Order: sequence, then structure tokens, then C-alpha cells
Amino acid sequence: MIELRGIVKIYGSHQALHGLNLSVPSGEIFGFIGPNGAGKTTTIKIIGGIMAPTTGTVAVAGIDMARDPVAAKQRIGFIPDRPYLYEKLTGMEFMQFTADVYGVPAEDFRTRAVSLLKMFALADWGEELIESYSHGMKQRLIMCAALLHDPEVLVVDEPMVGLDPVAIRMVKNLFRDLAAKGVTVFMSTHTLAVAEDICDRIGIIHRGRLIAEGTLDDLRRDIAGGAPDLEAVFINLTQSPADNPGEGAAA
Amino acid sequence: MSRFFDLIKPRLWPIVHRRPNTAVRSYVRLAVMTAVAGTLWIGIFLVSLRVLTHFSTIEEIGTLLNYKLLNMLMVTSLALLVFSDILTALSKLYLARDLPLVHALPVPAHRIFLARWMEISFDGSWMVLAFTLPVFLAYGLVFEQGLVFGLVLVAVLVPFALLAATVSSLLVLVVVIIIPANRMKNIFVLLGLLAFVAVYLAIRMARPEQLVDPEVFDSVLTYVASLQTPSSPWLPSTWAYAALQAALAAEPHRGLLDMALLWSGTGMFLFLAVGLADRLYFPGYSRTQAAGRKFRRRPAGTTRRHSRFSGPLRALLDKELKTFWRDQTQWSQIFLIMALVVIYVYNFKVLPLEKSPLPTVYLQNLLAFLNMGLALFVLTAVTARFAFPAVCSEREAFWVIKTAPISIRSFLWIKFGIYFLPLLLLTEGLIVITNIMLNVTPVMMGLSVLTVFAMVPGIVALGIGMGALNPNFRTENPAQAVTGFDGLLFMVLSTAFIGAVLALEAGPVYHYFLSELRGRPLPPQWFLRTWTSGLLAVLLCLAAAVVPMAIGQRRLERRGI
Repeated sequence: MIELRGIVKIYGSHQALHGLNLSVPSGEIFGFIGPNGAGKTTTIKIIGGIMAPTTGTVAVAGIDMARDPVAAKQRIGFIPDRPYLYEKLTGMEFMQFTADVYGVPAEDFRTRAVSLLKMFALADWGEELIESYSHGMKQRLIMCAALLHDPEVLVVDEPMVGLDPVAIRMVKNLFRDLAAKGVTVFMSTHTLAVAEDICDRIGIIHRGRLIAEGTLDDLRRDIAGGAPDLEAVFINLTQSPADNPGEGAAA
Repeated sequence: MSRFFDLIKPRLWPIVHRRPNTAVRSYVRLAVMTAVAGTLWIGIFLVSLRVLTHFSTIEEIGTLLNYKLLNMLMVTSLALLVFSDILTALSKLYLARDLPLVHALPVPAHRIFLARWMEISFDGSWMVLAFTLPVFLAYGLVFEQGLVFGLVLVAVLVPFALLAATVSSLLVLVVVIIIPANRMKNIFVLLGLLAFVAVYLAIRMARPEQLVDPEVFDSVLTYVASLQTPSSPWLPSTWAYAALQAALAAEPHRGLLDMALLWSGTGMFLFLAVGLADRLYFPGYSRTQAAGRKFRRRPAGTTRRHSRFSGPLRALLDKELKTFWRDQTQWSQIFLIMALVVIYVYNFKVLPLEKSPLPTVYLQNLLAFLNMGLALFVLTAVTARFAFPAVCSEREAFWVIKTAPISIRSFLWIKFGIYFLPLLLLTEGLIVITNIMLNVTPVMMGLSVLTVFAMVPGIVALGIGMGALNPNFRTENPAQAVTGFDGLLFMVLSTAFIGAVLALEAGPVYHYFLSELRGRPLPPQWFLRTWTSGLLAVLLCLAAAVVPMAIGQRRLERRGI
């Protein structure tokens, strides 16, 4: 469902991604983890069509993002890490805006929008201007809008930031339900417990390179020699002596 | 004290540690901006020198007139400084994005206030001071004063600006306790705008062009010179004026008390403001954060809407209109446009065509031709204010467009469509009304309407396309986008476009009216020349409508967020 081939991204003199290859099949929840500055958000932006790679190709649902970006984006629901929105619209107006842009049929819109707003506990706030929303409410509104057109692929950057524990549980359940219905979920996160809980497979990116990929059991067994959890795998892979010479010397 | 300096470091560091940008574009940008500012500065200087020199030659009242002018300058500068400082103080003290971080620091409120006061003093004053300086320079030359006047000028203008900033900050500190800062800023901007419009209309309706008449001018000068009403002794502008006037009269010692008043006034108000800051600043800031949240708690889906359009067009049109009408800083500028239109039409109403030695028919049609250029230049200014920032106004929510299944090309053309119709109606309205007032021939009316119809798409597309070249999505005020290099380039290119099309039309139109006037038939080569000029004008209009949009599209497609 998502295919990344030889993705390279160069910002000026800095190379953020070094030939990233990745394949995420339909109905899978793929967790993308890595230290700060590893290239997670760059990858997410490239998949979402916000940014073009320097070289390499991205295909979503078999559609090449460079050749037919409109068709590829039609299949994606995108949730960024920072909830910037049109502050002078109400929540419901933003949902209508999204429905119009994604071509959601008018007869389905109201039912779907109200149901999603209810699911994310925003029904009572739908007619308020977004500028009066809290960070978490904006994040929830973006999730509502991203699901409005029944996307085949959900691309999510840090989904749990700003959400309360009840919303986090609801979102985890929602992702599982969506995956069960065949939706592909590609999410980057620093919350390793969330990745452990819901991801079918996990990719670890470090310094722009995918250094490990597999199920949680694969990673624990093959990469970290039976490490107890994802945190141990993550630290084992990303904190090499080269990264932390002080710690290495002390050890 | 070191913590106080820590608070202003974030403002200074980017300047100190700035890396030289070697890109050609940055040099061109710097050169153009310097040239424009320099031309304006020199222009103000030359006009001031000319006026002051002329006044000084008038017997008996010449020097008095120059002093009156200086007094008026000081009062106007004070009003501008206070207006600018109040807006800057509201932003810096209560609305800036970094304030949550700053208020979380273990620093007393009065130190934060003091650090912000320094920024307010500089940001709110530099432009007023920079552009009044050439006037003072002209005064020094006309009154033949040198170094001492220069020193007095510094000793006067520095506390003058600081005092305005201090009193404005103090005022804001107190008023924000009653009216939250964001609401106060909206009210203040609206009142300022309405006051400006009122003054603008009043000045124009007073018909200042009558001053060109020597008899009227002389009587006005005598009247101004006879005004003996002293300025208020409580106003800092009076103190500044008195000190400068003493220095111009080569008696600077007479102004020492006034300078002392300026400095001590600044010190006293600053002492008062810093003393009150610990009590008032944080409560006001806290109140501002809680303001503007009028919760209605109405269930979603209770409002219905109807629209003739569908898809992305409806989405963007609805969003654009709602954002515009819900943001007071946007819609309030409609008043400015209305004032501009009223003055524009009024100018034609009071044109003394009958006094001209030229034949009325010839003059009417000549004016109608020039009117096209003027109306299109008004369009350029309005486009710069509203259409140029259209892309930038997406701000950080631009990711919504980037991830949506809509091409950047469609996005830009929809934006174009949204602004095209109202701007076309505005310009055609101006042209038709003023042409009716001029009583032009049907041929001229037709030519004007057609020319405007062909050129409006080009100017609007130029605005939208160039606004898409380097939009700053992180700006707090997208309307300021036009004050940058690309905005300036847009104004230059749009003016050049208007000039080029009118130049192509000028020849055939001139010969047509000349033959009409003389009752002679048009020469055969006129038709060929007219067709060639018309074709070139149409091609130019098409290029202006397509090329900037294509360039803007390419730039925006390549750009990340």
C-alpha cells in the first residue's frame, strides 16, 4: 500500500535521508521510530506529498506520488504533529472544508461529520471557532477531518501528542479497527509503549537510514539478543559507542 | 541585572550572529530596498528644503511660518509615535508568541516589562524618527545651524521617542486590566483607521489644490502666521519644539529647561511604569490569555449553509470569505478602500476643465486615457493589499492544502478567481463613473472598459503569482507580506505592465482623436498600426495572466512546509 524506493532527501548541505526503502502492506499498522532529527518527519512529509524527495519514488495504493499527486493524496488521511488549522473557521466548517476538498458526497457529510466529532468528544464544540480550541482539541479535530473521506492510508506524525489518556485509548482502538478493515496506518512516534501496543511492524530510522525493521518479536530476538522491550531495542540500536563515547569509555 | 540582559539576548543574538548571505538574490533585495528607502528619504529632504527655503524668503512672516511648521511636525510626530507605540506595546507585552516561555522564567514582572519596553521604544519609533530626520536636516541647513543643532536634535529626539514609548506602555499596562489586549488592539486599530479616513477625506474635501492660486495661498499663509494660540505646555511636543526652535535661533541655552523636561519626564514615567509592572503586568497578561473565548456550546451540525458551488472551489471560497469577515484587521481596511474610491471620484468632480486653454473634448478624452492608468494603479495598490498576501494568508495551515487532493495550480487559480471578480467590479466601476463625469465619447468609454477588462486578470494574476514565490507562512500578519522584496517587485512589474499596454494604445488613440478634432479621415497606415498595437497589448495581457501564475505554481510545488 505504501512503497518507498531509494528515497534521498538533501537540505542544502545536509542529507536527511539516505536511500530509504520501505514497503507497508494493506491493513498493517507500521510504527516508525527514531531519535530526534533521524528523518521521521521528513519521511512522513514525503509520503504525505508535502515535500518532494531529492531522488527516489513514493507510491501510495499503487499510485506514484510524483506522477499523480492528486489521486495519491485522495487516498491518504494525513495527521501532522502540530495542529495548525484555519483559526477563524468553526470545527464543523473545517469538516465541511475537508469534505468539499476530498469530494465527500453531500448526503453523507453531515452524518459522518457529526458521528466523527462525537467519537472524538468534539460534538459540543463543532460550532465554536477553532481559535478557542485547546491543543488537544485541535489535534482531535484534525483526526476527525483525516477520517472523513474514508482514507485507504492513514499517515500520522506523533498521534498521541496533546491527547488525554481516554483519547489515547480511543485512538489506539480506532487504529486497530481501521487496520482490521484494511486501512494502512503509517505512524511515527516517540511513545514506544504505543508502538509496542498497536504496531504490527516497526521500523527504526537513525541518521536517515532504516537500521532495523520487523515485528516487535523479530526486533527483540534478532537485533537486541532477547531484549525485554522496544525501549531496550531502541537504545541498543541508536546509542552505539560512536553516539555516546563518554558512556562507552565509562563502561 | 544580568537576567534583564538575558531577556533581550534573544532579540540581539540573531543580529550579532547573523551569517552573511551571499546569494545574489539577497544582494539584489538589499540594493532595491536601499534604493527605494533612500529615494524616499532624499525626496523628503529635497521637498522640505524647497518649502523651508521658499518660506524663509517671505518677508516678515517667513521665519514664523517655518517655526509653525516645526511645531506642527512635532505634534504630528508625537501622535504617530504614540499610535505606533501603543500597537507595538500591545503586541510585545501581551500578544507575542514567546510570552508563555518568558513568563515561565524565574524573573520578576518588572524586568520582563523593562526588557519589552526597550523593544517597544526601538520598534515603535525608528521609522518615525528615520523619516523625520531629513526634515530636521533641512531645517538645520535653512537656518544655517551646524554641530550644536545636531547635538540638540539628538538630545531632544531620543527622550521624545522614549517618552512616547514609556507613556504608551504605561497606558497599555493600565488599560489592559479593563480591556483585554487582543480586544483593545482591534478597537484601537479600527479607531485609528477611521480617524485616518476622516482626516484624509477632510483634507481632500478642503480642496488644497486651491493653494496653487497665489491669492488664496498668500491669504492662507497670513492666516497661519497670525495663529497665536500657544501649544499646550503639558505636551512633550511643545517641549521638543521649544528646544529645537531655540537651537535654530542660535540660542540653545533657552531650550535647556525643555530638554530637561523631556529627560525627566521619561525617567518619571518609566519609574512609575516599572513600579506598577509588578502589580499590573501579569494580571493583564493572564486576563488576555483567557479573553476571546466566547463559548456557545451549540451542538455540531446545527448551522446549515447553501452554496451554488461545490468541491474545492466552494471549500476555498467559503474559507476565504469567512476568514476575511471574521478578522477585523482584514475587513476594517474596506473603509480605506472606500475612502480611496470616494476621493478618486471626487477628484474628477472638481476638475476645472472649463479653465483649460485646450479644447474640452480633447482634454476630456486625454484625461479619460490617463484615468485608465490611474484606475489600474489603484487596482495595483488594492491587489497588493488583498490578493498578494492570499497564499501567505494560509499561514501554517498550508499543510492542509499540500496534503489535500488538489493541485497547486487549481489552488492558485481558485485564489485568483476569488479576488478577480470584486477587483474587476471595483476597477470597472471607477472607470465608468469617472468617464461619465468627464462626459467622454462612446469610443473612449468602450476603449477604457475593454482595456480594464483585459488588464485586470494580468494584475491580479501577477499579485497572486508573485505572492506565491516566497510566502512566509510563519508570519503573524500576512498583510505585511507586500512590504517585502517580492511585494515591491510586484508593484514595479504591475506599473511597468500598465505603462506598456497604455503606451501601445496611446499612438492609435492620439491619432484617432486628432483626426476627429480636425475632421480629417484616418490615414490607411493607422489601421495596420492599431491592429499591431492591439495584438501586442492582448499578448501582453495574456502573458501577465499566465506567466506569473505558472512561476508561482512551480515555486509553491517545490516548497515544503
